[in-house]
Amino acid sequence: MSARSHAPAPVRILTAVPLCDGHDSAVTTINLELASHGIEVIYLGYHQPVSAIVRAAVQEDVNVVGLSSYNGGHIVFFREVVAQLRQRGGGDIPVFGGGGGTITPADERVMKRQGTDRIFFAGTPLAEIMATIKRDYARPGRPNARFTGDRALARAITLAESNPSPLKPPASHLKRASRAFVLGVAGPGGAGKSTLIDELVSRFLRRCPGGRIAILANDPSHPDSGGAILGDRVSAIYAQDDRVFFRSLATRGSLTGLSAAAPAAIGILREAGEFDLVLVESVGVGQESDPFRTFGRGPPLVDATLFVLPPHYGGRIQLQKIALLAGADFVALNKCDHPMAHTARAEIQARLDQDGKGRRLYPTTAARHFDPGVDALFDALAQRGGLAPSTGGDKACWMEVTA
Amino acid sequence: MSQLGRIADAVDAYNAHVTAEVARARTDTRFAAELRERWAQIHESIDWTVSPTGTPLPRLALPQTDDPGVIASYLLGQGLPGEFPYANAAYREMYLDRDSGAGEEPMRLFAGLGLAEDTNKRFHYLSSHQKSLRLSTAFDGPTLYGLDSDHPGVLGKVGEGGVAIDTVEDMARLFAGFDLTRKDASVSMTMNAPAPVILAMFIAAAKRRFGPGCLAQLRGTIQADMLKEVQAQNEVIFPIEASLRFLCDMIEWCVPNLPRWYPVSISGYHIAEAGATPVQQAAFTLANGFTYVELLKQRGADVNQFGPRLSFFLDCGLDVEYLVLGRVARRLWAIGMRDVFGASSKAQLLKLHTQTSGRSLIAAEFQNNLTRTAVELMLAYLNYTNSCHSNSADEPFTTPTEKYATLASHGQSIILEESGVFKHMMNMFGGAPGLLVLEQQVEKAILDVFREMDTLGGVLAAQEQRYQRSKIQEAGHAYEEQVYGGARPIIGLNRYKTDEPMPHVPLARTPPRRQRLQVERLRAFKRRHAKQAPAALQRLENVVRGGGNVFAELVSTVEVCSLGQITACLTGIVGKFRPMV
Repeated sequence: MSARSHAPAPVRILTAVPLCDGHDSAVTTINLELASHGIEVIYLGYHQPVSAIVRAAVQEDVNVVGLSSYNGGHIVFFREVVAQLRQRGGGDIPVFGGGGGTITPADERVMKRQGTDRIFFAGTPLAEIMATIKRDYARPGRPNARFTGDRALARAITLAESNPSPLKPPASHLKRASRAFVLGVAGPGGAGKSTLIDELVSRFLRRCPGGRIAILANDPSHPDSGGAILGDRVSAIYAQDDRVFFRSLATRGSLTGLSAAAPAAIGILREAGEFDLVLVESVGVGQESDPFRTFGRGPPLVDATLFVLPPHYGGRIQLQKIALLAGADFVALNKCDHPMAHTARAEIQARLDQDGKGRRLYPTTAARHFDPGVDALFDALAQRGGLAPSTGGDKACWMEVTA
Repeated sequence: MSQLGRIADAVDAYNAHVTAEVARARTDTRFAAELRERWAQIHESIDWTVSPTGTPLPRLALPQTDDPGVIASYLLGQGLPGEFPYANAAYREMYLDRDSGAGEEPMRLFAGLGLAEDTNKRFHYLSSHQKSLRLSTAFDGPTLYGLDSDHPGVLGKVGEGGVAIDTVEDMARLFAGFDLTRKDASVSMTMNAPAPVILAMFIAAAKRRFGPGCLAQLRGTIQADMLKEVQAQNEVIFPIEASLRFLCDMIEWCVPNLPRWYPVSISGYHIAEAGATPVQQAAFTLANGFTYVELLKQRGADVNQFGPRLSFFLDCGLDVEYLVLGRVARRLWAIGMRDVFGASSKAQLLKLHTQTSGRSLIAAEFQNNLTRTAVELMLAYLNYTNSCHSNSADEPFTTPTEKYATLASHGQSIILEESGVFKHMMNMFGGAPGLLVLEQQVEKAILDVFREMDTLGGVLAAQEQRYQRSKIQEAGHAYEEQVYGGARPIIGLNRYKTDEPMPHVPLARTPPRRQRLQVERLRAFKRRHAKQAPAALQRLENVVRGGGNVFAELVSTVEVCSLGQITACLTGIVGKFRPMV
């Protein structure tokens, strides 16, 4: 266990359930089992179209894709996944399946001919599944000059993850850096950060018809197994768009609130020059946390920070103790439909007023669709990031901040 | 806001009342005399019958006692079949043989495959084995998710695992040749998120065929249970509030307009199949039911009007708790409805559909599934379920083939008609020591779950904190570990394997040319209604935004719009559901 730092990078697997299928009890069991075996599971959810599975596999640069199919149509579906992976630069990513008893041995023969790697039939012991995955799908990611587009970006991040030590130069020195506005998003676990980010993505996609947005979602690795279930994609319903680059990062023992590879990954995304907005989501943070180096311990990682609080933070005194509340550029109170929200609004605004920086609190209810509070927050972020009001048809919507 | 704590307290109070009455029966001689007299009257009212081998039998079995305490405990604690608190049965006679032959068998077989006319053919085949007309419809994946058969990427799923329904014309084909206005006709549809659209299509198709006056005759059930979808089954399209609004609109419209219809089937089946224990299944399902009651009451609906139109659906597996799950559920529902919601007797009655457990069936040595299902059927009947579906042995790997669907249906007939267990005497086992112990233990465990959810703020708040999903996943994981570790014996899988090779069973699959035919029909429908559809969708949008009853409008919308067009219109207005892990 203590040898983890010398161990090879964990296997990354994408799991999902195909379109029009909501049977997720097998896949959630497998996910837990995979994570307990030290594997990083990027779980996409149920009822997933081929395009979303392929996009996620490419952007997450996974070792393998595992699909749990129950209610039929698997021959066509798996064929399509394999075909689109090939078209979209992920032809080297193997695909396996499982599916109660609905996939028969005869089906498997057809599916293998069409490019599916293998089927785990009902009754295959979990231990055997785990051993097979670790044996056959653990190839470490190496540089590959033939990769282009999202896959090339994804591989660069994979390489940074397996060897995070050489820090990329601070992004502000990069030539095209000014195009991407990098926003760090932090807050305690359960504040609704992921949902709020997804709602911000929906505003971005509407307001910036030609733009691209990237998300780096950091989630903790399990301290014992080293595995992780990276499930942010499940509720990221607006991230299912080619204009969104979404990458899940497990912390792999880093205690800063971000993966040790996050600074490099931010640099890679800035350097790519194609993103107008980059959102970096930290793991759930505590009172002392400073994931984005807001307080000058090293060069800041991001251009601005958003701190998200839920209404049940524990009272006025607690607010004095949260470092990020003092340092954040934007503060949002999420879950404003909660009965405690009214008091929370007043208390947090009072706390912000203490600093005399003129910061206002953004009350949001991200779980509610079309929430005007999220609209207001997006407008403020857009203004800070240099978003020109969309005139429609304008390709790039984020403009250079400085002349 | 949550009533779950109050309901748990009401059950405790009722149990305390029973205990006090039992004690009074033993001390208060006047009360004792009253009870004895009532007992004698009940005995007198019981008809007698004779078994085929000549044994005379009463048609209702009662505890052999004249102890007033035992009588009080029986009458108040369990109730005669058909009497509060309904532990023994919802009705007096249930499965008894009737001389007139007028009774309805509880058998209801779930079917759906291919295109509408394929399922129609299966319906005709299945109903030829039944006295009454009971049709139960399974829909394919695209229909369950509100997508049209021409939606990108769904072609392989069209007609797989259920029937493809895109338009009102498909619906008409599905039930062609059946007189749905017959008194003993009943149609059930396993349909949830798009339930309002699908039921609207059913109504529109029935009006075309039988005239507008048929609504009062249509009888059946549509599942439409969105809470269990969010908690377990995952067929959710719209955000929760919108989903619940569409559902409540449908229920409120159906109560006066479709008086014989059950517009919601509050379902534990999928909760159990997703992993829940029997206790969790019953607790979550009943709690969901009480939540619908609260929601409808908040909208101003009368519990005595809508209460009798609610129905329930539970899974029946092989775990010991299934011996009593339906009995306990009926009792808790009756007490909660009467003592917390002030419901009258008709609205206190939990009407139960049961399906044998799909999860308990396995592909390995699959003919063992016939025995598993037979045992589960016995357990379901011991609970006096009002209707029942028995799974086909070949279900682990295919939509049931005709052969195994027939065996499944005959299994029910063998138990109820061929065997003498249920047809001569009611209440063969009610009050047995094992059942009583189980009832008390299961009831107590369910109340504990109610109280836990109450402290979380009730069903909706707990759901937002993913309480039910976590519990279900945890239990599912434990079940899998028991199976893999061998602690849970599964014959032919982890015990007594015979290494019999998988037999060749013909699979029921929809050929690609049939799938393409469905797409062609849908496109033809859309072309024919291209002029009217936009206006119909605009009217629908106006009703959604204006706060009117959406279901009332859908009955017209479906005349010219497909399921997918309507789903797209509604998600454009209310947004999409954001799934939970």
